[in-house]
Amino acid sequence: MIIAEQKPLDEIMEMISGVEKLLVLGCRGCVAVCSAGGDKEVGVLASALRLGRKKAGKPIEIDEETYVRQCDPEYLEPLKEDGKKYDAVLSMACGVGVNFIADRCPGVNVLPALNTTFYGANLSSGEWAEMCAGCGACILHLTGGLCPVARCAKSLSNGPCGGSVGGRCEINKDVPCIWHQICDKLTSRKQDQLLREIVPIRDWRPSGHGGPRRRIREDLLP
Amino acid sequence: MISGSNLEQVLISGRFAVTGELGPPQNGNFDVVRDKARILKGHVDAVNITDCQTAIVRMSSLTAGLIALAEGVEPVMQMTCRDRNRIGIQSDILGASALGIKNLLCLTGDHQKFGNHPQSKGVFDMDSIQLLDMVKTMRDGKKFQCGDEIKSHEPRFFLGAAANPFADPFEYRPLRVAKKVKAGASFIQTQIIYNVEKFARFMDIVRDLGLHEKVYILAGVTPPKSVGMARYMKKFVPGLDVTDEVIDRLKGAKDPKEEGINICVDIIKQVREIAGVAGVHIMAIEWEQAVPEIVSLAGLSPRPAPRRVDPRLRSSEAIDLIVSKAKEEAKAEIEKTLEQAKAEAQASRDLVLKEKGKITSEVSNLKRQLEEANAIADRKEAEIGRLMKELKETRDGRVHVRSVRRSVSDDADSALSSCSSRALTSLRSGLEALRKGLGINEDQLEALKRLFEVELLLSSDTAEQVTATFDEAPVPVERREKPEADSRHKEVVNLVAKGNVLLHKNDAAGAVDAFERALAIEPEDQKAGEGLKKAKEALEYTVSLEEAEAPAVPEGIPPCPEGMSPEEWQRKWVIRLVAIGNVQLYKGDVDKALKSFKLALELKPDDEKAKAGLLKAESGEAAGVPVPAEPDAPQKAEVPSSPVPKIAKVPEEVKTEAKREVPVTTVPTVIEGLTVFELPKETGTLSEREGSIQENLFKESCTGAIREISLGEGERAIRLGGASTLPFHLFEGDMPHVPQIAFGILDSEPEDWPDVLSKYYSDVFSDPVAWAKKCIDHYGAKAICLSLVSTDPNGMNRPSSEAAKKAQAVIEGIDVPVVLWGCGNAEKDTETLREVTGLIGNRKVCIGPLSDANYRSLGATAMAFHLPVVASSPIDVNLAKQLNILLENLGLSLDQILMDPSIGAIGYGIEYSYSVMERIRLAALTQQDEKLQVPFICNLGREVWKTKECRLPSDAHMGDQEHRGVLMEAITASTLLLAGGELMVMMHPKAVALTEALIKGMV
Repeated sequence: MIIAEQKPLDEIMEMISGVEKLLVLGCRGCVAVCSAGGDKEVGVLASALRLGRKKAGKPIEIDEETYVRQCDPEYLEPLKEDGKKYDAVLSMACGVGVNFIADRCPGVNVLPALNTTFYGANLSSGEWAEMCAGCGACILHLTGGLCPVARCAKSLSNGPCGGSVGGRCEINKDVPCIWHQICDKLTSRKQDQLLREIVPIRDWRPSGHGGPRRRIREDLLP
Repeated sequence: MISGSNLEQVLISGRFAVTGELGPPQNGNFDVVRDKARILKGHVDAVNITDCQTAIVRMSSLTAGLIALAEGVEPVMQMTCRDRNRIGIQSDILGASALGIKNLLCLTGDHQKFGNHPQSKGVFDMDSIQLLDMVKTMRDGKKFQCGDEIKSHEPRFFLGAAANPFADPFEYRPLRVAKKVKAGASFIQTQIIYNVEKFARFMDIVRDLGLHEKVYILAGVTPPKSVGMARYMKKFVPGLDVTDEVIDRLKGAKDPKEEGINICVDIIKQVREIAGVAGVHIMAIEWEQAVPEIVSLAGLSPRPAPRRVDPRLRSSEAIDLIVSKAKEEAKAEIEKTLEQAKAEAQASRDLVLKEKGKITSEVSNLKRQLEEANAIADRKEAEIGRLMKELKETRDGRVHVRSVRRSVSDDADSALSSCSSRALTSLRSGLEALRKGLGINEDQLEALKRLFEVELLLSSDTAEQVTATFDEAPVPVERREKPEADSRHKEVVNLVAKGNVLLHKNDAAGAVDAFERALAIEPEDQKAGEGLKKAKEALEYTVSLEEAEAPAVPEGIPPCPEGMSPEEWQRKWVIRLVAIGNVQLYKGDVDKALKSFKLALELKPDDEKAKAGLLKAESGEAAGVPVPAEPDAPQKAEVPSSPVPKIAKVPEEVKTEAKREVPVTTVPTVIEGLTVFELPKETGTLSEREGSIQENLFKESCTGAIREISLGEGERAIRLGGASTLPFHLFEGDMPHVPQIAFGILDSEPEDWPDVLSKYYSDVFSDPVAWAKKCIDHYGAKAICLSLVSTDPNGMNRPSSEAAKKAQAVIEGIDVPVVLWGCGNAEKDTETLREVTGLIGNRKVCIGPLSDANYRSLGATAMAFHLPVVASSPIDVNLAKQLNILLENLGLSLDQILMDPSIGAIGYGIEYSYSVMERIRLAALTQQDEKLQVPFICNLGREVWKTKECRLPSDAHMGDQEHRGVLMEAITASTLLLAGGELMVMMHPKAVALTEALIKGMV
């Protein structure tokens, strides 16, 4: 799931300083699941903005709406016209949603309310951690299902660096050394031969270093 | 010998090697590096030049390494992966190689988080092992990382890597060394060692792996400067194991610095004893002064004289030195010449003086003579004229003296100029040698010349001549002879390159021309010859392609966009044309579709999709796009052979098909306005459909099976259950009996049925027998479920005896199986159902619902008459199982039981029903939960038709009420079928027809 978090309120207030009529637009996709931009967060943010503007002596008119998703064209259809009624649309979707609105709804002034952070999992209530970097060339079958590209501070391919102590990463004791875990896992599965083989230098093109990525399934094309 | 570096030679010779470390400054101060290098010079065999260690910005390791090299200290250049990608790293490596650096230590690098720019983006394009591999391939494979050839001057480095015996997991560390050796490391420098015991254990494993024979291991040591530093390293440097002993020794020492040196020396002596340690790497961080002492105290001095440490570039200071030396020589020579000239001048001056003296004495002589004459002339005035004449002669003699002086000075000047020009010629040839040696270019040489001119101008006054001498001097230029050959060669190269570019751009004709021109100039040129061959082949290919494509082009294939090959574009265009054709066909525009398909076929005559589309279009049929759940969908023609789903059939066809397949004795009448879909049967075999997916990847056989149960008697009895697989998973197991549908009827006129349902039965409401018969005769019912709603104590509360009689009439009036369904009041149902069983004798009806409140009494009745029962429990796996167990304990066989899991309609808890049924079925099939291996009965019709959605009238928003209700009932039924339901109790004939079509399509 895509994890995001709300921008600091001051930053959002600054962003909408000239706006008099605003639509706070949530998304029921990933950001709702990670409690960053669903119905509830839309309500809370809208109220906070109303209060903030009222206090500043510049009251604002805010409507609230939450779409099923902001990353599929059919759901954005109503926004094409409705969005023009507002000075700005504050999207609480991930960056994909904001971009897609900007692409698909000309004339709508879309602003981001969230910082999109990573692809992660919900460790426990209120806690999320990065699990995948979307690098486009998965090697998890070689690493016991644990991703060194996303979860190693240096994205190492060939084992833990010299800073791994007691199963912790050198950059922060709160960060587990994923390579230590990979070593343990492969050793216990008797796959430690994998640890002895040199993993060749990566091709980073699928990771986005070859330019913006696109996926096409020809059989599904219209 | 790999690179022939001093370090490599020392290690090969078997001597215990010593390397040091030099941290470049955080500024551009040349002197800092030079001074540190001078401290280390002669005490170590090579010096590591760190690459922005701890991620703090410092002078680059390449630059500082060159400064050290210029001082005669061999650098081990460190290279990290943190700051440069593979382009930058390879570029620096070429530069380092060009300037004479021979050792390279490959590191991943400290994370930028530790340095003074934690905001930066860490590159980490590769890790240390991949870096080693890359540099080794550059050296031994003469290839860049991308695979391109390095045509000459491949960088040759003696490669090193780091190892940390104190990091975790400990067991992995020697394996990592093995990996680094495999990737290309010839020597290893370890992390700072304080815990010698642990290092020894590390070396044990290293030796076990035989690594000490493949790689030189240099043990890392550092003299701690103070207790504070030791504590800091222990606490904050990850992967550094500072023992308490070290800290205690420092604490107790009078002079901690001296003690620090002693500690370091002790550790060196200890690690030297460990087999496989080939040297020591002393990292005296910002304390280079300690190194000479440590090396000496450890008994490692003197170091072997450095060999082949020769800088290609010298520092500007070294250049200054050479220049000033040459300058001094020149100056000395000029001075000598000057001295000589001066002496000569002095001699001339002396000569002049001598002449002058002579003249003076002559003058005085004359004066005397004049006086004598005066004495005589006093009286002899006539003699005055003669005396005047003599005086004039004396003056002429003075003019002669002056001319002598001038000629003398001219001689001195020419002597000077010839001397200084000789000096300058020697200086010039010296400079020429310097230029070759240092690679100074013409401009720089010119600048040096000017410098000398100025110097000479300052030290003598012969500036003009000096300039003249330089200007005349011929500067030897080697490549003077072959400009003509050069230009010819250049033209050939240009033409070949042009040819290749044109070839690449698919302009084969142009390429052929270019190559031919190149060959005309240089017939022997190999590349041009090869190029010509290729170009000609390409030309032929293009021509053939053009011929093949010719008819398509005027039909308007748009020009191929950039970045796509024409073939690829054509392929895409065909796909697009077929897609357009399909869409037009679907829209009913057959003409346009025909055109699209034909165009596509012209471009690609064997495209199967286009062929199929054309066939369909020609027969005027719609493309196979399924439009499910639309009872009033316009009737469309069917394509019998087509693999795509078939569409809507009229009811008559349903009827006739049903007649063919099921031997029914009565003919159902047509249901007005009923349109039923028929699902296409899957025609392909499983092996055809599975394609490349292996069977064992999706097939999951079940170990359990559902019991079979019979309802009714005689010819029209139905059997349910028996499945040994999940519902409709026919590729995994058997489903001997298809699910069945019973028509739900009531024993009294329904009070709250919506018109859209009751209109089908209103004529028979008053007579349950007629009702049942209508269901069977008109709607093809294969079973009847009679609900005894009239007995409900909260409703009509009809006496049990009365209700039983009506039920008896129904049971005896029809020959299909009957389910008797009580009103849901446990007591009343017991009473009524017992009554019925008493009346019907041997007829086998199914009775229900049996709940935990009345299972004993009704269970006993069922046992007595061998009747199947419906065991009804609230929606829960365990409660369902519990009731089955209770019934079995009572003596009932599980073969007599149908389970009613209590279901909800769509929108009213169907997810819950589905989930519970699915879990029951999985437990029964895969976990051999015998008590749950019982068929399901789903009394869904009554649930669906009491929902709000079935009662709301037709309107624009909710659509037609009847369609809505029918679809709700049919969808509810299909969901429950997929969950495992075996017997559906339904009401609306259209919904039943739809569901039956679905079942037929699925089995």
